[in-house]
Amino acid sequence: MAYPYVSDREVRVLSKYFGDPAQRRLDTYVERGGYQALKKAFEIGQDAVIDEVKTSGLRGRGGAGFPAGVKWSFMPKQPTKPHYLLCNADESEPGTFKDRELMRWDPHQLIEGILIASYAIRAKHAYIYCRGEFFEATQVLAKAVEDAYAKGYAGADIMGSGNDIDITVHVGAGAYICGEETGLMNSLEGRRGQPRVKPPFPAAVGAFGMPSTVNNVETLSAVPHIITHGGQWYRQWGTEKSPGTKLFCVSGHVNKPGNYELPLGFPLTELIEDVCGGMRDGKALKAVIPGGSSVPLLNAEECGRCNLDYEGVQAVGSMLGCASVIVMDEDTDIVKQVRRMVQFYAHESCGQCTPCREGTAWMTKVLLRIEEGRGTEEDLDTLLEMSRQMTGTTICVLSDSAAAPVVSSIQKFKDEYLALIRRGERVGVA
Amino acid sequence: MSEVPFKNPGWAGNTGEFDLDEDQVRGDDFVGTRPREGGHPSGAATYPYMLPEKHPDAPLFEGEHKERFDKILTRYPNKQAALLPTLGLAQEVRGHVSPETMDRVAELLELSPAYVRGVTTFYTMYNKRPVGRYLVQVCTNISCNLCGADDVMEAFLRYTDTEIGETSEDGEFTVVEAECLAACGFPTCVQINSRYYENVTPADVPKIIERLKAEGAGGD
Repeated sequence: MAYPYVSDREVRVLSKYFGDPAQRRLDTYVERGGYQALKKAFEIGQDAVIDEVKTSGLRGRGGAGFPAGVKWSFMPKQPTKPHYLLCNADESEPGTFKDRELMRWDPHQLIEGILIASYAIRAKHAYIYCRGEFFEATQVLAKAVEDAYAKGYAGADIMGSGNDIDITVHVGAGAYICGEETGLMNSLEGRRGQPRVKPPFPAAVGAFGMPSTVNNVETLSAVPHIITHGGQWYRQWGTEKSPGTKLFCVSGHVNKPGNYELPLGFPLTELIEDVCGGMRDGKALKAVIPGGSSVPLLNAEECGRCNLDYEGVQAVGSMLGCASVIVMDEDTDIVKQVRRMVQFYAHESCGQCTPCREGTAWMTKVLLRIEEGRGTEEDLDTLLEMSRQMTGTTICVLSDSAAAPVVSSIQKFKDEYLALIRRGERVGVA
Repeated sequence: MSEVPFKNPGWAGNTGEFDLDEDQVRGDDFVGTRPREGGHPSGAATYPYMLPEKHPDAPLFEGEHKERFDKILTRYPNKQAALLPTLGLAQEVRGHVSPETMDRVAELLELSPAYVRGVTTFYTMYNKRPVGRYLVQVCTNISCNLCGADDVMEAFLRYTDTEIGETSEDGEFTVVEAECLAACGFPTCVQINSRYYENVTPADVPKIIERLKAEGAGGD
């Protein structure tokens, strides 16, 4: 069965074999050139691998956009302790659904990327922290890991190179915050997944107190291609500062939601109109969240001049995040959707920091009050003041993420809040 | 441009094809280990696909489960790190993680019972009390919500005759609200035990419920 989420505008590098179950098999993967990049990596050596990834300009696909090669170069060159590579497969950002597809359609691509990255940072053990809900993806991936072990692509003396790298699929248990890299490390260690104060950074003190690097599934899946074809090759797509291709997860009110692999810098309007077949039922566009629920909303006018690369989205006042484009049409109740997002953050707050624990809960209450027509104009000031106190005051950015949609929606869709408040007042008077 | 709602191919994307069994849905091309065959040791705990028999008093960590537990221990530098997979394994056997189970896990991993209690309650996937044979988790987060998840939720509650978080009288269904399940392009996403149902509409709900009931009765 062909994968239905395709467009001729796509550049399918990572998603080339989506929809092709044969790709899940090790023999097919090898026939199609798999594990050659790993062999090449062993030949050219650690430093050359890191340089190649640096040249490619590959940036972290988990949301922060930090250059992967630079991150790897922070790891000690002369290991005195065990190093760990942690693959972040705890995909839970609302709007994001690319990692699950990468794991269940092309598990060996990810495994090869993990092996190359582990080799580059001199790690002998890699953990794949999979989201607990991903039973199917985890099963496919675990089977692929077993196959890789059986054929000598993982474990001891990989392909006779003398390199030992173990891979363990670790299954989480349902907590959004474990997608934060230090929360992930705590969770892996059998603790509550509460983020740690940085510094120390993971490259110095990470999982089990050892130097560690955390990379997203999509970042690691791109690595074999970069090693095979070279860093410059990867730069043929995207922009100077945001090179390469990216999986865009489009959801919401479009005709063809799905995962589309496009060069970075792709215009948002074309993504919606061309790639995704336009707005559902021919409705008008009201708002877009370009990078998952943690980033500010864009209104229709801003969408019109937004290019989807890290800098382009920043230029219109939001963030690319993990490129999870949530599209909302003219009928969308913005206040309700913002409340739903904040409610999510209240549920997922780990409770360590007061501004987040209290702020997200109170914000939910105030937003619900407005939604139900019991709000006042003062509530909007309260929300903005809370947002201010929740931004930049906590260990991790969950609190900031909760504040972002609130602030941006009040700025851009104040009329909707006011309408609910006014209607409530009228009903109250009657 | 869109004529029909897209279906996400693969095991998970079976919406509208509820008369297919697991083998047919997954097809011969599925290469993963089937959870009911015991699951992958490194993947540690998995809920068996349509787990029929869970018993709250079932023996913990015996036989194949003991073997899996021992394998789990070999994959981490210390015993504490095995806590999450071990709790998952316990839940796989018993359906939920009771205080007694937590104490047993604490003993096995040489941790304090209070510590294990603290960690277990942090994570949503550990059922702290028994749930129905089918745990129905409806995503109502933003992407699904935009496409009518609230109606799907309501339909599940109506057809199972329960309130959120409550177990139906026959012990078959517990319906809960889930946060984003990472299937946002295929709304509404519903996870029932280990399985994802995608593109679910309120009209699909009675069909899904009927099929699950039939499966249960058939002694799957």
